[in-house]
Amino acid sequence: MESNRIEYLLGRYEEGETTLAEEKELREYFSQKEIPEHLEAYALLFKFQAHESKAVYTEDKVLKLESKNYRFAWTSIAAVIIVALGIFYFNQSQPSLTTSEMSAVNDQEQALEKTKQTLKMVSAMMNEGTADLVYLQEFNKTKNQIIELN
Amino acid sequence: MSIRRKYNKAVQTNHLSMQERIFLSHINPVKDKIYRLALRLLTSRDAAEDATQEVILKLWSRKDKFKYYANIEAFAMTITKNYCLDQLKLKQNNNLRIIHQSYESKQTPLQTEIEVNDEMQWLGRIVDRLPEQQKMIFQLRDIEQYDYDEIAEIMNMNQTAIRVALSRARKAIREKLVKKHNYGIK
Repeated sequence: MESNRIEYLLGRYEEGETTLAEEKELREYFSQKEIPEHLEAYALLFKFQAHESKAVYTEDKVLKLESKNYRFAWTSIAAVIIVALGIFYFNQSQPSLTTSEMSAVNDQEQALEKTKQTLKMVSAMMNEGTADLVYLQEFNKTKNQIIELN
Repeated sequence: MSIRRKYNKAVQTNHLSMQERIFLSHINPVKDKIYRLALRLLTSRDAAEDATQEVILKLWSRKDKFKYYANIEAFAMTITKNYCLDQLKLKQNNNLRIIHQSYESKQTPLQTEIEVNDEMQWLGRIVDRLPEQQKMIFQLRDIEQYDYDEIAEIMNMNQTAIRVALSRARKAIREKLVKKHNYGIK
């Protein structure tokens, strides 16, 4: 009688008509040892279902990832603070330098003197530089000789 | 100012960890189901683990909207389904073959009998060859034992269509089982 009911349930099972409770009944029936031979295929199928429901997700990467996220967040905040401080520092220090220089030469005559001095220095340097150009004339001489030969 | 910042920080982290705890209490009962569905679809353990993680992260990013979802579990499964199908589409051409090769190493428990393990692997391969939709419905119904309402919600299909697909899947598996069984005897 029981096997009649099981076969009836299996028919409905294959049509997708069984309820969860009926499927549970089938699963329980097939979990026992003695199964009629013609139903062995079903036994395997239900064993497979039980077997497959045992796989577990063991990784706890999720939590690790979340804490990693926080670490990233704090480094980015630190980086922003450093950059902000850097910009703040440079913005402050540059104008203070230029104003101190400006204040040193606020007198007109002094400024003129200073300019003259620097210009003189520049021209002296230039002359020093051009003095070395004499050597180049030697090159020109030999070059001209070659051109004449041709 | 620094004291204030510290205070803010403390409040913030406290708040987050509370949220995290609530989130985990929602996710913990579902995460194995997510993993198994991903495993069914993607076949490889590594891919399934990655998928599970991705899905949980996706859920985490939407944690604020949790209260609007009637059934978080079904929502999680839908996300899993969509994510895995996307992955399969991406890998359709080359990687799928490689994934299939790692199938053997999937069933690791050595304590289970080799024979049973063999049968299970072989059944797994039968299920593997089903169309994706049938595979998913079979997984949801016969392995996770969802009721038809939930499956309809997850799959975004009507119940009749689900029953038809499920019936096809069950019949196909049984037919292949019987064929193999007879072959073994003869």
